[in-house]
Amino acid sequence: MTQDVVLPLSILTLLIPLLSFLINIFFGKKLGKISGVIGTSILGIDLGLAIIVAFTKLTSYAGIQVIQNRIEWFDLGSLQVNIGIGIDNIAAIMLIVVTLISFLVHLFSTVYMGDDRQYSKFFAYLGLFTFSMLGIVIANNFLIMYIFWELVGISSYLLIGFWYEKDSASNAGKKAFITNRIGDLGFFIGIMILFFTYGSFMFEDVFAGISSGVMPFDNPTMLTIAGICIFMGAIGKSAQFPLHVWLPDAMEGPTPVSALIHAATMVAAGVYLVAKVFAMFTADALTFIAVIGTITAFISATIALTQVDFKKVLAYSTVSQLGFMIMSLGVGGYTNGFFHLVTHAWFKAALFLAAGSVIHAMHQAMHHMHDHHTDPQDINNMGGLRKTMPWTYRTFLFVTLALSGIPLTSGFLSKDGILAGTLAYANLTGGWHWIIPVLGFTAAGMTAFYMFRLTIVAFHGEPKTEIAKHTKENKLPIVLPLVVLAFMSLWIFYSPNPIDASKGWFHKMIVQPKSAVPDAYQWSFLINNKTEEAAPAVHQAEGATHTAEITAENPHEVTKAGHTTGHYLNKFQEETHHFHYIAMILSLLIAGSGILLAFLIYQYKTISADKLEARFKFLHTFSYNKWYFDELYQATAINGLLVISKALSWFDNYVVDGLVNLSSYVTRGFGYIVGLFDNYVIDGAVNLVANFTGYCGNKMRKLQTGHIQSYVVFVLLGILILLYFFI
Amino acid sequence: MMDISDLIKSISLFKPETTLIVTFMLAMILDMAFKKSKNIAGYIAIAGLVIAGIFLFQQTGVNYKAFANLLVIDSFGQFMKFIVLMSSLIIIVFSFFSNELHNAHTKLGEYYTLIIGMTFGMFLLVGSANLIMIYVAIETMSISSYVLAGYTREVKRASEASLKYVIFGAVSSGIMIYGISILFGLTGSLNLFEINQFLSVNNVATLPLLLSGLMILSGFGYKISAVPFHFWTPDVYEGAPVTITAYLSVASKAAGFAVLLRFFKTGLLDSVPGTSEAWQLLGNIDWHYVIAVLAVLTMTLGNLVAVWQTNMKRLLAYSSIAHAGYLLMAVSVMNDNGVSAVLIYFVFYMLMNLGAFFVVQLIANKLDSENIDEYNGLGYRSPVLAVCMTVFLISLAGLPPTSGFIGKLYVFSSVINSGYIWLAIIGVLNSVVSLYYYAKIIRNMYLRDVESAKTKLVFSPVTIAIVLMLAIPSLLFGVYFTPIVEWANYSMNIFVGN
Repeated sequence: MTQDVVLPLSILTLLIPLLSFLINIFFGKKLGKISGVIGTSILGIDLGLAIIVAFTKLTSYAGIQVIQNRIEWFDLGSLQVNIGIGIDNIAAIMLIVVTLISFLVHLFSTVYMGDDRQYSKFFAYLGLFTFSMLGIVIANNFLIMYIFWELVGISSYLLIGFWYEKDSASNAGKKAFITNRIGDLGFFIGIMILFFTYGSFMFEDVFAGISSGVMPFDNPTMLTIAGICIFMGAIGKSAQFPLHVWLPDAMEGPTPVSALIHAATMVAAGVYLVAKVFAMFTADALTFIAVIGTITAFISATIALTQVDFKKVLAYSTVSQLGFMIMSLGVGGYTNGFFHLVTHAWFKAALFLAAGSVIHAMHQAMHHMHDHHTDPQDINNMGGLRKTMPWTYRTFLFVTLALSGIPLTSGFLSKDGILAGTLAYANLTGGWHWIIPVLGFTAAGMTAFYMFRLTIVAFHGEPKTEIAKHTKENKLPIVLPLVVLAFMSLWIFYSPNPIDASKGWFHKMIVQPKSAVPDAYQWSFLINNKTEEAAPAVHQAEGATHTAEITAENPHEVTKAGHTTGHYLNKFQEETHHFHYIAMILSLLIAGSGILLAFLIYQYKTISADKLEARFKFLHTFSYNKWYFDELYQATAINGLLVISKALSWFDNYVVDGLVNLSSYVTRGFGYIVGLFDNYVIDGAVNLVANFTGYCGNKMRKLQTGHIQSYVVFVLLGILILLYFFI
Repeated sequence: MMDISDLIKSISLFKPETTLIVTFMLAMILDMAFKKSKNIAGYIAIAGLVIAGIFLFQQTGVNYKAFANLLVIDSFGQFMKFIVLMSSLIIIVFSFFSNELHNAHTKLGEYYTLIIGMTFGMFLLVGSANLIMIYVAIETMSISSYVLAGYTREVKRASEASLKYVIFGAVSSGIMIYGISILFGLTGSLNLFEINQFLSVNNVATLPLLLSGLMILSGFGYKISAVPFHFWTPDVYEGAPVTITAYLSVASKAAGFAVLLRFFKTGLLDSVPGTSEAWQLLGNIDWHYVIAVLAVLTMTLGNLVAVWQTNMKRLLAYSSIAHAGYLLMAVSVMNDNGVSAVLIYFVFYMLMNLGAFFVVQLIANKLDSENIDEYNGLGYRSPVLAVCMTVFLISLAGLPPTSGFIGKLYVFSSVINSGYIWLAIIGVLNSVVSLYYYAKIIRNMYLRDVESAKTKLVFSPVTIAIVLMLAIPSLLFGVYFTPIVEWANYSMNIFVGN
């Protein structure tokens, strides 16, 4: 297969889910149950195409940075807009992630949504969402990416609010949409700054502009600000602090939607964006990103500790893991950040689908027992599901291990890499940056704890209610995706060595792109070693000087930086490698103690959960109420906005409307006068002319319409006036 | 003088027009021969137009003064001829589905024949570089259009419209030929190239030159219905069959604008300073302002009066006057960018205006009325048609993401680039007013009488397909318009000799 085929095939991959949307939205009612089969098989074909594209790129053309095209959309002389699509290695991997999870979710939904009366509409929306998400993946410019970014926003709004009869669902849809808008506003401003400066939306043009030393408004700080603005888009989509509040509410959507959107794809879009434009972030912007990621990872892990809703625990866990990815990118761990995105996509989708499986079984049992009041998602109503739902339990347990970072899973490889990266970063930069690894390790420990708390309370022990006792294992279309996804969470897919991924194919394919930012504004340890590129000696000397400037506080670093060999891509990679085993041992210890604690409290009840709760009453309430973020926003942002909007509506009603009405009266009046002119003056003139010519006799007058003569008079008059006017 | 090689080359470049003449005669003869076939002339006309189009396409890149400077063959003319040709083609297709035409006549042979005749006249007008030639071309197209406007002669208002049209046209022609005679007296020539040379060498008195210019302008103004030469437009548009109304509003205007631009650039351009930026015109007359004033008058009157209309054909008549005003803005900047903007605008204007008229025709077929209230609830009675109509109207109002927006964008940017900010502001204000009456129709279609259980209106799939074929490009060119812009930029240089 040649390189030329890659792009047409990826466009086909993009468009096929749209076909599913069109078929199901227009003919869904007629198709009935078949719409699910159609949607699933279309996604199956799409998955096949995506695999072909990805394998072609990753095997035959792995060395080529990106296979892309460039089309002139329009040209207004001074303004030229180019668009296009491009497949690089991360796009190729994302294609598979999106289409495979979308396919499995389609399959899962054929049973899960089986009784829903909007069955076909659900598959239509899934198709639309997949289409939009693939658009983000294959964009090679900000414009197309932004368009699909918004399309993802709208389709996720439709899916979250799918059960729109429920107030909570439609509110959650609105909340997600509005919260995302705030981030998108920043994203848009960032794009505009870049377009204004570099005159193009294309990633490559922007990067080339930056590396040639051109700065927005001739100010390097503005480049940092542009980077942070772009990152705001990721804050919204990837539910980072302080815009993370929408994601837990979005659990009101059907559970397959949570698996597709809120675990694997949409929320990953923000991380993907940061990875895609990684080359444009300055050292300051990266620090900002790292801090946001760390805060997110920590806060949401603490919240997940006390939640009782099955899906809410998973939701906060997702936010926390997204924080890990963002944190990793921020500290410079490009490869491990994206690696965690991929591994997390599989096991978190599996966790959500398992949650769906449990909830479905609980629903069925409730239906069977004519109980309509118990909350089927409250983990305190479950228990003992290990026996009734063995396959769900086994897969759930395995992916929980993956999420907790236990060896032989993919999650261990990626999380370990991230934590090693944070240690390396803290060591290279020093000072307060040590908080990042500290919070990172703490969050990792909490992850292991809350995941095992969830597993033990929901699956182990005796059934806590009659309903839990009557649950049954689900049908194959529900169980199969679980097994597939759990299988994908094995280490072997990424590296033959179960404790070190750095020699695996993934780390060979996904290499940190060369930073476009001039060396003076970038961390010295992220600047790729010049020796590899066989650059002239002068350049190397320059690079060394900059290094000296930046790391002047740590003199011994300078010598090291100067002498790095070509073995590692840059200083950061080398340092990460050094910290690999320390990080591994630390994280195993911490995760292990988290798990142990969970078993002691919930399984063996050696430590009483209630006593613990009573003792740390304040902390528990704080965590249980999600740090009061919603209340805080309600009190400040929302109420503040309401006051402002009331004031604005007053202004609108009285001042603006007054002006509008006034101008419309004037326009109408003027039009009326012109109309009168036509009616009375022209007609009047007609009558006048008619009277004037009327002397010529009645018979001639009857032949005339009257009007035409006045017309002629006006033509002549017009010429005379113009002549007089311009003479 | 004309030598034989010039004649041979001219004849070979005259192939599109020759094809039209042959089509004209064939259609007439065959229509008489095949008495039973109702639309035979129409099919022949379509075939003829397609062949003429092929010949026209072969002239790509040719710049030539044919028949001893009588006609100019250039890419600008080619572009405008394509607009005329496409409109003719579309109108003939529309006519197949017109109830009012088929009710009035059992056979429509001469109707199609006359459309070909009119197309021929417009082709001549687009290429004319000689005042007598211009006059003859205008008469050729006018005489056909007089008959076509009154074609449904049993309908009273059609006959009245036709009669008014004839009288008004006669007066305009009279004024125009008077102006031509004055110009001839001043310069001693009827040929635009020779007039140009005479004016660039000799100083002539301003008053007679202005007078003759204005009088000639009245002839062009009548074709493009610019204020104050527009008075015939509403009556004739309302009275004529819808197909002819649509035809006059696009093709006739295109030919008028072509000759207007050619007259200024060929006849009055001062070739000494070069043509890169604004054209320097001969004689001490500020033609920029003359045209700008006409533009302001035209669009303002067109829009303000359109607000009060309740008959769709009359409303679209005033709307087409307003669009002539926007186009005149682009003419008034008097440079090649303005020409390019006119060309771009015409492509989009053809699609959206013909589309809107076709919807009016289809509704009139079913409901026998053109009243704006008949459109109430159309969004539910015939969803596809209503959506397409909405696209056309939004495009006419010039809102994104439709092609009408792109057309306006180029017109306004050519005006602003030439520094006429005030003119652009008036243009934008006018667009705002126009939104009122376009949106009124959309409101009627979707928000009025929704509950009243009116029956669904069912249209044949062919007609729906035709509407879609106009609506989809109207939307598509709003998003991807580079090919049209490139074509227009290629065609914007009017051939002035050398």
